[in-house]
Amino acid sequence: MHLQLQNLSKQYGTKWAVNHVNADLAPGVYGLLGANGAGKTTLMRMICGVLKPTSGYIRLNGKTIEELGEKYYSQLGYMPQDFGFYPDFTAREFMLYMAAVKGLDPQTAKYRTDQLLHTVNLHKVANKKIKSFSGGMKQRLGIAQAELNDPSILILDEPTAGLDPKERVRFRNLISNFAKEKIVILSTHIVSDVSYIADSILMMKNGQFLLSAPMETVTDVIKGKVWEFLIDQRKVAEYSQQFSVVNLHHENNKVRLRIISDRAPTAEAINVEPSLEDLFLYHFGEDALSQRSHEYVD
Amino acid sequence: MLIKYEFLKIVRKKSTLIVMGISLLLTAFLFGLPILQFQTYNQEGAIKGFEGIAYEKEQYKEQSVPLTNEFVEKNIAQYQTLFENPANVGYDGNEKFLIGDVYWNYVAPREKLLSIIASIYDSPNENSGLNKLPELDLTKSAQFDQTRNEKIEALLNMPSRNMSTKQKEYWSHMNSQVKTPLQYGYHEGWEVILSNFELLIFAILAICIVIAPVFSGEYQAGTDAVILSSKYGKTKLGTAKIIASLLFGILAFTLHIIVAFGLPLAAFGVDGWNLPLQIADPIIPYPYSFLQATLINLGVIYLVLIAMISLTLLLSAKMKNPYLVLIVLVPILFIPLFLSPNGTTGAYNLTLFLLPYRSTMPEIGKYISYPIGDMVFDVLSIRAILYIILSSVIMLLARFTFMKHQVA
Repeated sequence: MHLQLQNLSKQYGTKWAVNHVNADLAPGVYGLLGANGAGKTTLMRMICGVLKPTSGYIRLNGKTIEELGEKYYSQLGYMPQDFGFYPDFTAREFMLYMAAVKGLDPQTAKYRTDQLLHTVNLHKVANKKIKSFSGGMKQRLGIAQAELNDPSILILDEPTAGLDPKERVRFRNLISNFAKEKIVILSTHIVSDVSYIADSILMMKNGQFLLSAPMETVTDVIKGKVWEFLIDQRKVAEYSQQFSVVNLHHENNKVRLRIISDRAPTAEAINVEPSLEDLFLYHFGEDALSQRSHEYVD
Repeated sequence: MLIKYEFLKIVRKKSTLIVMGISLLLTAFLFGLPILQFQTYNQEGAIKGFEGIAYEKEQYKEQSVPLTNEFVEKNIAQYQTLFENPANVGYDGNEKFLIGDVYWNYVAPREKLLSIIASIYDSPNENSGLNKLPELDLTKSAQFDQTRNEKIEALLNMPSRNMSTKQKEYWSHMNSQVKTPLQYGYHEGWEVILSNFELLIFAILAICIVIAPVFSGEYQAGTDAVILSSKYGKTKLGTAKIIASLLFGILAFTLHIIVAFGLPLAAFGVDGWNLPLQIADPIIPYPYSFLQATLINLGVIYLVLIAMISLTLLLSAKMKNPYLVLIVLVPILFIPLFLSPNGTTGAYNLTLFLLPYRSTMPEIGKYISYPIGDMVFDVLSIRAILYIILSSVIMLLARFTFMKHQVA
């Protein structure tokens, strides 16, 4: 199974939200990373067929999604960011309704509904109205509906947004369980969410893929460029201006800086193993730092 | 299955129950008013409400007769005889009329019947009440059916009506199918229904309010992305939403009809269902009974309802918010309330008679016709044809618009 994005673009006025993107995706979990406004959601909407590209094609095994029609959508599971529910429906009714929209026969619909509500730990509240659910419960219901038709392509747009750390871990595990032999595209700006479960990383900036690489080698581009060292507090500003600082940590009266640089910033600096977060911060700089602060506030 | 869930989505909303509840109460109030306000008179004064209805029904017992020439002649002669005695006649400076016991014993119980008889001797566009009866030359004028036909011919030939020969032939032919002699009798309940049909516009509006979020509600709630990316999202789902909306609309409207018709028929009785429309107004050319006319007009209103549901769905598929749908829809339904026809010809009038609000009114005595090529259609037929076409086209457009919706 191959999902191909060919020269895929979306233009709003003079702005290219997605700018001539190409990719050939085989089964596996793809972490789609990018700052807010990078074009991740627009790209996912186009892949899901709910937004028409300005140009380019999406092909599954060589056929465009227009040609495939219902055949394509029957293989697709989508959990959009901040998607709504029907507040007067119970979780079970919502799942059965979605199963009907996905074309499942009533018997399969009931079986899958029970199975998935159990998997996402909502079976005890299956007959409660969705309006009484917390944000985390709604997110779990969201992924459960995306899995109803056991899709071969699973698109998850910021599935962990707004969840507390515990919920986020639970969610990551759920996604890992669902991901087998599927093309899973998981968009997020929370790096830790994908670092555990993604097989490959797609990094997006200004509507284009900045980087596309397997998880094992994705950080190779900054290998040997990540440094850690202790400096006096007064010198932090000076170093921040000179280098790309990805982390700082106060230790007694000193500060431990983690920076990305082609050369050693000081003689005492130790070269360390790069992480995905280093790579993300390296590419997105201030945007990413501001997002990360939001993330911590969240 | 999809239809079932779409139907559930409509009826589960609290707002649906509230809007339908208010609308049913309003319908009950509007169609109950003629019962509460009903009054008739006898020598002792006004008799109101149910007591008045019972009294009126009693009066009609002796009047359930065919309006044969002999019967009409006998009644006119009787009226003239009474009029010959000056003691029975009053004068208000303008017109003469029977007074005292003669009025209460003879005229009052059969005033409607006498008015119907007298009306056919008026010229078109004239209404002289009972004033013509004392002067009629019975040797020439008592041929009731013939005089009625002559009046209709005169009406068709009025220059203000500007009718083509085809149109005149159309109406004359229709009138020739009216069965004579006309059977007279009590028919109050049906008259109340026929004269209040336009009040059902509020029920149509209420149904449109409930239907307005069918598509736009998905956009507003953000569920559009999930459903449109599902197997049947762009195919069967749109159809299911339309069918569920129609199903809801028809059921809800039928509930309103049960209330709207049930109240007057329960209070006034179903008597008169098989009597000809002409006993309410002799110039009506339609050869139908009260029940037939009611059902035919009701059929047209159902078509108007379906067209309005379709239009609501199209707007709902186009707009991102149910409130925007209503901002467009309400004027379409209610602006015609403030427009009055100034005749029965001309583009303005002929358009006005086809607008949703006007289309709820039977307009059976106005001779409104639409010549199209060599053919002539009466207003009821053209409304039916128009609203069937509109519903079909708009429904397809609504489905197409939803299919092509872009999640942004």
